[in-house]
Amino acid sequence: MSAPRLDIDHRALQSLQLVTDAALAYLSEDDLLDELLKRMTQILQADTAAILLLEPDGRTLLARAARGIEEEVEQGVRIPVGRGFAGRVAAERRAVFIPDIDHADVLNPILREKGIRSLLGVPLLIEGRVLGVLHVGTLTPRQFTTDDRDLLQLAADRAALAIEHARLYEEERRARENAEQASKRLEALQRVTDASLAYLSEEDLLQELLVRITEILATDTAAILLLESDGETLRARAARGVEEEDDQGVRIPVGRGFAGRVAAERRAVFIADVDHADVLNPILREKGIKSLLGVPLLIEGRVLGVLHVGTLTPRAFNAHDRDLLQLAADRAALAIEHANVYEQRRLAEALQRRLLPERLPQIPGLEIASRYLPAAAGGLGGDWYDVFGLGRGRIAIAVGDVVGHGVAAAAVMAQLRTALRAYAVQGSPPAEVVQAVNRLMWQLGPTAMTTLAYLVLDPAEEQLEIVNAGHPPPLLLGPDGEADFVPLQGTMALGVSGTAVYHSDTVAMPTGSTAVLYTDGLVEKRGVSIDEGLERLCALAAGRHEVEALCTLLIEELVPDAPPDDIAVLAAHVPELPDRLTTRWPAEADALADVRRLLRRWLSTRAATADEAYDITVACQEACANAIEHAYGPGRAELDVELSYDAGRVRVTVRDKGRWRPPRGQNRGRGLPLMHSLMHTVDVTHGERGTVVVLERRLEGDA
Amino acid sequence: MSGLAQVVPVRQDEVVVARLEGEIDASNRGLVGHRLRDLVTNRAELMVIDLSGVTYLDSTGIALLFELGAELRQRQQRLRVAVPAESPIARIVSLTGLARAVPVHPTVDAALVS
Repeated sequence: MSAPRLDIDHRALQSLQLVTDAALAYLSEDDLLDELLKRMTQILQADTAAILLLEPDGRTLLARAARGIEEEVEQGVRIPVGRGFAGRVAAERRAVFIPDIDHADVLNPILREKGIRSLLGVPLLIEGRVLGVLHVGTLTPRQFTTDDRDLLQLAADRAALAIEHARLYEEERRARENAEQASKRLEALQRVTDASLAYLSEEDLLQELLVRITEILATDTAAILLLESDGETLRARAARGVEEEDDQGVRIPVGRGFAGRVAAERRAVFIADVDHADVLNPILREKGIKSLLGVPLLIEGRVLGVLHVGTLTPRAFNAHDRDLLQLAADRAALAIEHANVYEQRRLAEALQRRLLPERLPQIPGLEIASRYLPAAAGGLGGDWYDVFGLGRGRIAIAVGDVVGHGVAAAAVMAQLRTALRAYAVQGSPPAEVVQAVNRLMWQLGPTAMTTLAYLVLDPAEEQLEIVNAGHPPPLLLGPDGEADFVPLQGTMALGVSGTAVYHSDTVAMPTGSTAVLYTDGLVEKRGVSIDEGLERLCALAAGRHEVEALCTLLIEELVPDAPPDDIAVLAAHVPELPDRLTTRWPAEADALADVRRLLRRWLSTRAATADEAYDITVACQEACANAIEHAYGPGRAELDVELSYDAGRVRVTVRDKGRWRPPRGQNRGRGLPLMHSLMHTVDVTHGERGTVVVLERRLEGDA
Repeated sequence: MSGLAQVVPVRQDEVVVARLEGEIDASNRGLVGHRLRDLVTNRAELMVIDLSGVTYLDSTGIALLFELGAELRQRQQRLRVAVPAESPIARIVSLTGLARAVPVHPTVDAALVS
């Protein structure tokens, strides 16, 4: 700031006071500039005065305040720095005096039109920087003095100071406003990313997010649409202000309409005027929504859905709004993904529990135990097993491992299990059963790959028929306890080739043997070869025929604390049948052949001749057939067959819970006489709780 | 029949010969009966059922043969069965007195010539 001159007279002192008047400080910038111009024209007795300010580009001056030549401001006159009168003042940073405008380079047409004759201009300086130019003019030729010049410079300094202050204040105000906005945004972000939202259910969380978003962005509506499993349709999932959308389950094809566009382009879409935009959703139109902003719900680049907000009055959403909405969308996407993953896991686990037999069937003359361990990471594995009777005393045992995890694997498992049972009970040989299942798996597609060990056990024939489809080999423990893997032909996993041919191997399974089936999780350990795992399994199992204890031991010894894969183990033992044996059967004609097989097996080790065995079998079957025929009433009927052998006497007791009915029809009364002919004693007792038939026969061979 | 028994037609003109294989009990007696009856046409005069391949026959199976014998008799047709003496079912056939209603022969040939 230039210091006031020393040789000022009284008028000048007065003038100085007018210019430096402290009261000016209370005026706004505009008023201050106007007041300064007014006072300057008075003091200097000038006809015009104007202030031009340097534009931010530093190359142009723009009229900011004027007196006598107000048109300058109104028309926004611009003067390039370095050219014309004002341009010269700014460029030369010093006072310029033009006694006669006719002889000078004056660009501004307004000055000429006004008929201005003389001009005096000074720069507005702050710390050596040019802020602009202040100039005064007269309509008559005037010789400005150095005092005039100094006074004008003083006013210019005052103006510069005020302008600078105003600018600083404006900057500060803007900075404060920015800070406030930033803090507001931060608060908004916090509201959207609020950790406590995580405790809400997916439904509540989406609703709460919509509430917060409509508040923060001050919108009238908000809605979340999720992509359907077909990947082609969006369906309204939660809405606010447009609840009809949710209620009516509005569906929008991806790529069409507003939400469809957001999903297809995977980016924010803003529509300023809904009336003229491609909006499919009739509810949005009916509501009278004017502006829409939508962002995609993204997880790892996958589109889960769309979040959009709308206003009933036209609104220009800015980048901050968009970013905030995207943040809310990210939050929603995460919650939805979590819920989806959780739901998938819950569903899968429920499915798997359904797929594994809750309790293995009680099969007389066979001891079976099994274990299933899920992987440590939780979720659904692909391991499964099944045990079911095939009739004629044969038992099907299957252990498999579906490639992959989750609901897809569980679904394959369900189909596999059903298919295997369906084909197996048709009575086809095991290799054909597996081949049929393979064709089905092949048709289901590449996700349906699975290994399978399918065994048909015939305890009466002491045989085991095995079909192996890419599964680890079953382990067989002989009656002496020696353990060995069943050598099998290498065969392909199911679902790999539609034309794969499967063969069965028949191996002896003498009474007293145990078969162990398992999935790879039992023998595979990271960093250890599978051969080592198999060896350990073999060594551990040897000599252990008690199936429950065997399964427990194998799990304890072979499975790490946190198994990376799920594990299934199943052991089946064909025991020596004891002298006293109680068996329970469904009271169905189909069970007769199974009862026969078991009875023959039991008799074969009791020194009965072929005729004796046949007679006892026929007599027992007649008693069973009667029980089955009389088994009526609610629930699944069962019958018990008790066998006992003592000192050459065989006793067969058949109990049922039905009521004995006298034989009907001329050909139906043969059962009882037949029993009498075949056995030494036949005792039939009818009671309130059912009928008991006791048949006895002494074995001649033993006598 | 879930593989328990099979009915194999051997001859089907004025004389019908059917071979039964497997086991017959209450679970498959109905189906075996249908298969056998289907083989008997109107021009048939004689039906011979070869039971040499049957390893098990219970009283319901015997009842089936009694019924079939009575049905054919009503239609002026005859039923004979072939049961070898060494067959495991020979004893039940004899115990139930099937021969009183249906002639029992040791072989199919014997049943055809008698």
